[in-house]
Amino acid sequence: MPPQVGSRRSLIVSLVLTVAIAFGSLAATLSLGWGPKLGLDLAGGLSVVYKPTTHATTSDMQEVVTILTNRVDGLGVSGATVNLQGKDVVVSVPGVKDARAVLQAVGQTAQLLFRPVLCEAGVGAKLTAATTLPSCAPQYQDTAANLNVNTSTGNPVNIAPDPAFTNIASTKPAKDLPAETVLLPLLGQPGVRYVLGPSQMTGHSIKKALAQQDQAGAWVVNYTLTGTGSPLWDQVAQKNFHQLLAIELDGVVQSAPLIQPNQASFTSFAGQGQISGSFTQQSAQTLALAMNFGALPVRLQALTTQTVSPTLGHSSLVAGLGAGLAGLALVLLYTIVYYRALGLVIVLGLAVTASLLWAIISALGHTAFAPSFDLAGVTGLIVSIGITVDSYIVYFERLKDEARAGRSVRSSVDRGFRSAWRTVLAADTVSLLAAVLLYIIAVGDVKGFAFFLGLSTLMDVLITWYFTRPLVILLGRRGSSSTSKLSMAAGLHAGAQSE
Amino acid sequence: MSNDTDTFAPIDDKTYGRFGRLYHGLTTVDFVGRRKIWFTVSIVIIVLGIGSLAIRGFNLGIDFKGGSSWEVLAPHTSIANMTSAVEKAGLAHPNVEKLGSKTYQVTADLNTLSSSRQATITNDVVNAMAKTAGVSPTQVSTSNVGPTWGGQITNKALEALIVFFIAVVAYISIRFEPKMAVAAFVAMVHDLLVTVGVYSIFGFQITPDTVIAILTILGYSLYDTVVVFDRVRDNTQGVLKGGDLTYSEMVNLSMNQTLARSINTSLVAILPVLAVLLIGADLLGATTLQNYGLALFVGLMSGAYSSIFIASPLLAWMKEREPRYLDLAARVGVRTDRRILTASSAALQSAQTSATNARPARSGGASGTIQARARKQKRR
Repeated sequence: MPPQVGSRRSLIVSLVLTVAIAFGSLAATLSLGWGPKLGLDLAGGLSVVYKPTTHATTSDMQEVVTILTNRVDGLGVSGATVNLQGKDVVVSVPGVKDARAVLQAVGQTAQLLFRPVLCEAGVGAKLTAATTLPSCAPQYQDTAANLNVNTSTGNPVNIAPDPAFTNIASTKPAKDLPAETVLLPLLGQPGVRYVLGPSQMTGHSIKKALAQQDQAGAWVVNYTLTGTGSPLWDQVAQKNFHQLLAIELDGVVQSAPLIQPNQASFTSFAGQGQISGSFTQQSAQTLALAMNFGALPVRLQALTTQTVSPTLGHSSLVAGLGAGLAGLALVLLYTIVYYRALGLVIVLGLAVTASLLWAIISALGHTAFAPSFDLAGVTGLIVSIGITVDSYIVYFERLKDEARAGRSVRSSVDRGFRSAWRTVLAADTVSLLAAVLLYIIAVGDVKGFAFFLGLSTLMDVLITWYFTRPLVILLGRRGSSSTSKLSMAAGLHAGAQSE
Repeated sequence: MSNDTDTFAPIDDKTYGRFGRLYHGLTTVDFVGRRKIWFTVSIVIIVLGIGSLAIRGFNLGIDFKGGSSWEVLAPHTSIANMTSAVEKAGLAHPNVEKLGSKTYQVTADLNTLSSSRQATITNDVVNAMAKTAGVSPTQVSTSNVGPTWGGQITNKALEALIVFFIAVVAYISIRFEPKMAVAAFVAMVHDLLVTVGVYSIFGFQITPDTVIAILTILGYSLYDTVVVFDRVRDNTQGVLKGGDLTYSEMVNLSMNQTLARSINTSLVAILPVLAVLLIGADLLGATTLQNYGLALFVGLMSGAYSSIFIASPLLAWMKEREPRYLDLAARVGVRTDRRILTASSAALQSAQTSATNARPARSGGASGTIQARARKQKRR
C-alpha cells in the first residue's frame, strides 16, 4: 500500500508537528518577552483623526503623515503610529501618561515659517490692535548695514527696539498669514517682539533638525535641508546675509539667528546648517522639535479626539480578559459534559489554537504592519471561540451520525471527517470573506476587529486539518474497542447503539 | 430503491426526555410545515422595531451626532455630585450616567462653541471630574467628536455591508445554489432588522462598536446558515432518485440532523458573549465591552433563530414551487407507508440503502465491510 495522507505515520507526524510548533512558538514568544501591541483603549493613550480642510492630493496627505510622524517621534513616546485612512490621518499614541500634553504638541496644525526680521519691538503696558503695521523707522531697521556684523566676534551692533510698535498688540493668529508683515513675540523672552516680513521659506524645506552638543559642549541645533529646500535656503540665506532670520511656529518666534556672522561673504550651506547661540539643552531641543514639525501642505481639522486614561484602559483590559476567560471556561465545561472524552480534544485543540494565536499576535506586535490589539480585537477573538469550537461540534455531530448508522468508531472518524471538512471549509470561507472585505473597506476599530477575526478563522481551518483530524482519527483507531467511560464511544453514545 | 426500506426498528420516543431525544438525534420537529408561525413571530418583531424606529429613532452615541464625552473611574461619588461639578465647570446641559459599577460618563455637545472655548471647557470639566473623583486629571478619559465623523464611519460600514452582501450571494450561488443564496440573504436581512429594531425599542445607544458588532452578527448568521444548508444539499442530492421524501421533508430531516449542532454552536457562541456582557461590562465596568456584548447577544440569538426558522423553511418553500419538486411531492403524497425520519433512523436507513444504492456523498460501501475498506480509502 503506498503511503497515504491518512496513514498512521503521517497522522502522527502532523499531530506532533502542530503541537510542537504551537507550544514551541508560544514558549519562544514568552521567553523573548514579547507581548501583543496593546491598542489605545487597553493601554490608555491618545488618538486623533485629522481631516484636511481643503482639497488635498494623496501625496499631500502622505507628506502630512511624514511630518506628523516626525512630530510624534520628536516627543519621545514609543509605539506611536500615524496612518492614512482614505484622506484622513489617524494619529494614535498608546500608553502615554499625560495624553493631553501630547495632544497639545501634536495638535499644533500651524505652519513653520522663515521670516526676515525687520526690526525689534518692546512690549508696552497698554496694547491696542492695529489694522496695518507702520514701517520700521530707518535707524531701527535690522538691515545688514545697520547691524554691521563684526566677523571676528560674530556680534552685530545692538539696535534698540522701534518705539512706534511698543503699544501695538501682537498679530492675532487669524491675521498671521505667510504673505503679511506681522508683529510676533519671541519664545521664552517676554519683553522681546519682532516685526517680521513676509515668509520666504516654509518648514517644507527642512528635512531634519537635531539638538546636539558641539565640540566645546555648547548646545546647538544641526539641521539638514531637503533636495529642493537646499537651493531655496541658499537663496534666502544670501538675501538675508548678516541679518536676522526668524523661525516662526504657530505665531511665536522660536529663534531669530543671524546668518553666517563669522564670514565676510555668503557661502552655500550645501544642504546643511547649524544654529548656535546661548542655548540650554532644553531650548535647543525645543527649537529642533519646532523645526521638525515642518510645514503641513494642508490645514488639518480634528475630526475626533480621544484620550483614554491608563487606569480606564487597564480596567478594560482586565474586564476583557476576565470575560474572555470566563466565557472560555463555560464553553469548555459545556463541551466536556456534552462530549466527554471528545470534549478533552476540544480543550487541547483550543490550547493549541490559543498558543499559536498568542505567538502570532505577539510577533505581529513587533512589526509595523499589524493593527494594535484593542477591545474590538478582543471581541473578534471572543467571537472566534464560537467559530473554532463549532468546527469540532460539526465534526462530532457527524461522528454521532455515523455511529448511529451502526458503523464502528474506527470507520466513523474517517468518513465523518470528510463530510465535516467540507462544511467547515464552506462556513469558514464565508467568515473569512467577511473579515477580508471588512479589513479592506472599513475604517478605524473595524479594521482591527476584522484582522483578528480573519486570523483566527484561518487558524481554525489549519488546526482542523493538521490537529483535530489526526488526533481524532488516531484516537478512533485506537479506542474503538475500549469500553472505559473516557472512550470515544462514551462521548458519541449514539441513539442507534443504545437501543 | 425499493419501497420496503423502512425496515429499521422503530424507536421508542418515550425512552428519552426532550434533551435526550436531541442528544440521540430523535427529534422530529416540523420546521418547514410550521413556517407560518416562525414567519409571523419574526414579522411581528420586525414591524415593532421599524415602528419604534419611525417614532423614536435611534439613541445615537456622540460618535454619530458629534459631541464630547468624559469618563472617569470614581467608586465613591454620586451622579448628583458629578452633575453639579461639571455644571459648575461650564457645561450647560450635561448628560451624566453611571456605567457599570464605578465609571461615570458625562456627555455634552460643544460643537456650537468656538474651538478655543471648547478647549477651555474640556479642560475645566476634566479638572472638575478629577476633583470629584479624587484622582489626578490624567485619569480622566476624553473624547471629542466633530459632527461629520460618525457619518463617515457609517458610510464606510454601509459600503462594506453592501459589498459583503454581494460577495456572499455570489459565493453561495456558486458553491450551493441561487435559491439558497436568496434564503441566506433574507435571513441576514432579518437579523439586521431585528437587531436594529431591538436597539430602537429598548433605546440602547448606537456607537461605532455597535456597528462592528452588527457586522459580526451578519457574518455569524451566515456561517450558521451555511452549515445547515450544507447538510440540506447533502441530503437532497439523491432526492429525485430516492423518491420517498419531498423536498420539504428533506429539509426538515436536515434541520433535525443539525439541530443538536445548531443548538450547541449557538450556546458555545453565546456563552462567551454573555460572559462579556455580565462579567466584563457589568461587574468590571468596561463600557465598550457592554456595547459589543449587547449587540452580539441580540444578534446571535436572532442569527441562531433565523438559520433554523427563517432560512431553511424559506428555502423549502421556494424549492417546492419548482416543477420537479411539485411532481415529487405529488408522487410521494399518494404513498401511505411513509414514516417520519429522525436523524437517527435516517442514518440507519442510509447505511442500509447504501449497500444497493451507492451515493457518493454518504456511502462508503456496505456496513458489514466498512472497517476494512475505510483504511484503504484515500482521503485526498
